[in-house]
Formats: sequence, structure tokens, C-alpha cells
Amino acid sequence: MPMNGWTGHLLRINLTTGSVKKESFTEEFAKSWIGGRGFALKILWDELKPGIDPLGPDNKLVVALGPIAGIPAPNTGKTVVAAKSPLTGGYGDGNLGTRVTVELRKAGYDGLIIEGQARSPVYLNIVDDRVEILPADEIWGKGTYDTNEWLYKKYGKGVGVLNIGQGGENKVLYAVVRSLEGRAGGRPGIGAVMGSKNLKAIVVKGSKSIPMADPPGMKALGAGDLRKVQEIDKKTGWSVQGTTGVLSWCNEVAALPVRNMRKTSHPEAWKIDGERLNNARIATYGCPNCTMRCGIAIHDHEGRESELDYENVGMLGSNLEIFDLPQVASLNYLCDDYGVDTISAGGVLGFYADAIDRGAIEGDFRFGDAERAKELLRMTAYREGVGNFLADGTMRMAQKIGGDAMDYAIQVKGLECSAYNCKFIPGMALAFATSPIGAHHKESWVIMFEITQTSRESYGPEKAQKVIELQRIRGGLFEFIVACRFPWIELGWDLQHYADYFNTITGMRWTLDDLFKVGDRIYALMKLFWLREYPDWNRTKDYPPKVWFDPSNADNEGPIAGQVLEWDKYEKLLDSFYEIRGWDKRGIPTKKTALGLGLAEEAAEVEKYGKLE
Amino acid sequence: MFRVGVEAMKIKLKIIGPLIYETGFSEKELELEKPITAGQLLSRIRIQENRPKIMTRNGKAISPKEELEDGDRIAICPLYSGG
Repeated sequence: MPMNGWTGHLLRINLTTGSVKKESFTEEFAKSWIGGRGFALKILWDELKPGIDPLGPDNKLVVALGPIAGIPAPNTGKTVVAAKSPLTGGYGDGNLGTRVTVELRKAGYDGLIIEGQARSPVYLNIVDDRVEILPADEIWGKGTYDTNEWLYKKYGKGVGVLNIGQGGENKVLYAVVRSLEGRAGGRPGIGAVMGSKNLKAIVVKGSKSIPMADPPGMKALGAGDLRKVQEIDKKTGWSVQGTTGVLSWCNEVAALPVRNMRKTSHPEAWKIDGERLNNARIATYGCPNCTMRCGIAIHDHEGRESELDYENVGMLGSNLEIFDLPQVASLNYLCDDYGVDTISAGGVLGFYADAIDRGAIEGDFRFGDAERAKELLRMTAYREGVGNFLADGTMRMAQKIGGDAMDYAIQVKGLECSAYNCKFIPGMALAFATSPIGAHHKESWVIMFEITQTSRESYGPEKAQKVIELQRIRGGLFEFIVACRFPWIELGWDLQHYADYFNTITGMRWTLDDLFKVGDRIYALMKLFWLREYPDWNRTKDYPPKVWFDPSNADNEGPIAGQVLEWDKYEKLLDSFYEIRGWDKRGIPTKKTALGLGLAEEAAEVEKYGKLE
Repeated sequence: MFRVGVEAMKIKLKIIGPLIYETGFSEKELELEKPITAGQLLSRIRIQENRPKIMTRNGKAISPKEELEDGDRIAICPLYSGG
């Protein structure tokens, strides 16, 4: 039965058997999980057996959209890609801007469930109800740029494309899914899952209309708001530097990742800042339905066009002590072309250089060596030589190195930290540590609030409260309704607009609090997913990197000289977080919390493996 | 020029992000008469008054009421919320 706001259908494709099935979902499923991350999580929870190999045929790749995804309204061009993560072993996902968002909805689907494993490389071509599984021999082995162009040439530029590069093909554990109409998504190795299925690309074209309760109302509201967001952006000038403006601020307040996050600022940071990036700009890119485009492209060292944002520059630039913008752009280009995550790649190379520097392993890579970094990225994408070691991510590298290497592996749950050095930022460290997919900034970016509106030294419950508030919005609302958070976070576009879009398209009368409850349900189930995979789960999995607590790692000068995180205080902050969320001391939702969020069946299921308090 | 008997001081001012296109510079050393608060400094720089912004002194947050000191490094930044 059609439901306004949703197409009501998911497309299930089994690559082992070649079967294709259009499935309906219930209104209860739609209202409980809304879409995007909610749909992906619930599908993976219901359909995956715990303990399966993330890179085997039993894992499933879910592409999921939400009720406002793809409609003409502010920044609705995002798609969620998800699977059991080969990097972390838990639920993993990411979002990326892509025309697939628009085309898949118009083709009549709110998501894809891709199962099994093709015998040889294939790609999918979805045109409304017609689904083809086609040989990918001509594009397997190509980078994402050439793959995308080959598909555009064959199908025209109006199609939506998701694809992987050599990183995904060779199952680099932090390989991502790419789209030229947006950027990349799926940091916890979702590209590797796609590669493990021998699936090179997904091409989508749709021609249907999306069911809406009030089509003229939604059209007028969405179009008007797109213009308003554009006007605010022009007035504030936000997209002139986009996200990269934050680099200078991090450098000022001692939060910049430098030298595998050993240091928090650098006198040469200005060479790679937003001003320099804007001056070098040759093109600007944005996702579908975006009027505040943040993708700033410059010529890289080799003369190629490379699109940068803060995270790339922070992790491939300052974290590696490479303060040459075209060289940073080259590293970024290679990551994008190979289809590996720029943040994790910067974290891995930083950790590798640090381990060599500390004498823990032998190697020829040093901080600041851009040329060697390029070669190492190539070797990583192909798993050649030492690249095979680097392709497994910092957590596994640290396990192999042994000794105290895990202490300075800048990761949580296996996922490398994004570009914020939190050696003395307790709330942001908590945000990384409690991010349900590993250390990702997308869940709760509390750092500016923390440094400007609270005492940096404080470990008070107000910080835990703020982390949760932001998780509800960023990791909740925007991930399940599926839209880019930038109009809200960067331009102050009121959150109520998103409830208005949701209600206008679905005909429902939900408040923001109703939507936030879905976010809490999703966060609780993500934690139950971890418990089902790891019945001996304990709170140490919610700890930030140990080196941030090490007094010998404190800055010698600057605003946080001599200061690092403190264990006993962090434990209390973590307790506050668990208490506010209604989770036990292990960081697992209590039975009461699970039942209160409508997770009775899920609670019963998880208790087959681990106990709920 | 400074008035006789008025104590002078130097500060370094760092402007961040799109605010530099309003002020016309991103980093500058300023000579100022004492006393001056952070808020008073803000009013002397060409930044839209109603634009949300934050200030730090030597890397730490500072309120508009606080007086500046000789040798301070002041950074003015729009409100970011993180990519």
C-alpha cells in the first residue's frame, strides 16, 4: 500500500543467484525507522546472523533513502550506504551526496538490499522496474573517475552512479563508496563490502513521481527554502571557504591534528588554510539539491582537479606535516580515485610514520614526505608490499606491531578519528568515543560549543548532555530523514523546517521530539548490534585513544600546555553519558530503556547472546 | 598616534574564515590604547554586528567584557559546526 513520503518499496538483489525482487514494507516499519540509517540498521539487524564474515557473501550492502531524500528541498541529495563493517566488526554506515538519491526514489525505491557475491565483477543498471546485472570486465581495475566517466558515456550524465575504486576491489578495510555527483561515503569499509561482492558500480535512472501528501505545498515550500538557504549562504559567505575555514580555528585553539595527533598546532598551518584554498580554487562542486556548495576544487601537484574539504586537509595535510596545498590535493585525489577514505588514510599514514619515528617498526616513511605518501597510497589500494599492512587500518596495524602501539593508534572501535586532536577536549573526546560506528565527527561535533561556551577543563554532565543532543540531531534526524546537516549547522537554518518537510510530504503531524525519539531508538539498536556481535562488550570500547591521557604527550606550549585528559574524570563523564541515555555501566541500553524505545523484540533477540540489565 | 599618559599595547589579530572578506585582512598586528575590552575591539573592526562569532585570546575563549593585555593574540571566527 503506497504511503505518502515513501515509495513503499525496497529492491532486493542477490548477486549469487541473480534474483531480483521488489519488496514492500509496512507502515509500521516506515514509522519506526523512517529511512536512511534507520532502515539500514533494522534490515541488517533482522537479516544478518552475528559473527558472519563482513567480507563474505553473508554480509549485505544496504543503500537507504529517507522520506525527504531526493525531493527539491534544502540539501536532500544524500544517500546512506551501510553494512556490517569489516573495519570495526559492528554496524557501519556513511552518507554521501549523489544523484542516486534522486533517481532511486524516482525509480520507485526507498532502498536497495544487495546480497550474496557475484562470481565475476558486475555492475547494476536500474531503470525503474528494469534491473540488469551486467559484466563489469571493462571497468574492474579502474579508478573511480574513469569508472564514472565510462558509465556516463554509456548511460548519459543524467544517471546516478555509485562506484568503488581499486581500494574497494582489493578490500582495503577503509574503502568507501564514491559518486562524482557528490563525494564519498561509508568510512567503515562499506566500499570493501561492495568490492567483496564483486560489485563495481550501481547506475540508476528513474521516471516516476514520489508519493506526497501535498505535492504543490511541498514544491512551494522546498523551492522557496532552497532560495532562502542560498541567500543566507551568500550573505554570510560560508561557502567561500566551506568547511576549510575551521582549520585556522583548530590551529588557534590547539585542536589541529599534527604528526599523528602528537601536536595540536603548527606554524605552517596557514599554508593549507581556507583562505589559501579559496585563492587556488578552479571549480566548485555540490551535491544534488544543494545551494551552499562546499566542494572546493584546486589543481593538485600533478595538475589534476582535486576537491577538498577540512577533513581531507587536516588528515592528509597537517596530520602528516605536509603543508603544501597542491601536494595535499594530490593525496586527496589519489584517495578519491582509489576509493579509500581520506580521513582513515591520513590516520593510517600518520600512525605508520609515528610508529617508525618511535622505533617500533622499520620503514622509510617520514612525516612531511608527500611523494612517499603517494606511493604508499597506491600500494595500499593494491595491497602491495607494506600496503597490505596499511590496508587493514590502524587498529590491526597496532595489534601486529604490539608493545604500546595501540596507545598511539588514533582510533576508536577500529575507525580512525576525524581531524580533531582531543588530547585536552573532554567532550569532543567523548563524542568520538561514543560514536556508534567508531570515531567519526558526523555524529556529534561538540568541540566549538565546548571550547567557547564551557570550561575546557570541565568534565561535567552538561558536556555529556550536549554530546547526546547533537547525536540526536546529527546522527539521528539527518541520518534517517536523510539530508545534509549543513544548512542547520553552518547557516542556522532552523531544525523545525525538517519537521515541516517531513509532515508536508507524509501528511503526518510529528514534532521534532517525535523524530528525536526515533534517533534514540536507532542509537540503542546500534549498541545492541555491537552486543550481539561481542557479548563480552565493556565500556573500554567507548574510550578515546590512550595517548590523549598520557602526560608525556602534553603540549609544551600554547593554550593547553601541560594538560591532557584525566582517566578518573573521563570515567565520570562517560557515566553521565550512559545515565542520560539510560544505558548501563557497560554502555549497553538497559532492558527498561530498550522497551521504552519499542525494542522489545530486539531486546529478546540480543539476550540470546548477551544479558541486558 | 597615542595620547600622552595613555598606556599603549600591541596585540596580534587573527581573522578566520569568511570574516576576512569583511575585514579585508586575515592577520595583523594592532597598536591600541589601554584599556580596551574584547567587545570594544570588535566594534572597531568591520564585521557585521549581528553575525554570530566567537573570540579567543591565546587559544582560549574570551567574553566581550574582558580587557585585552599587551601581547595578546586574539582570533575572531564565525560559528562553525563541523563538516
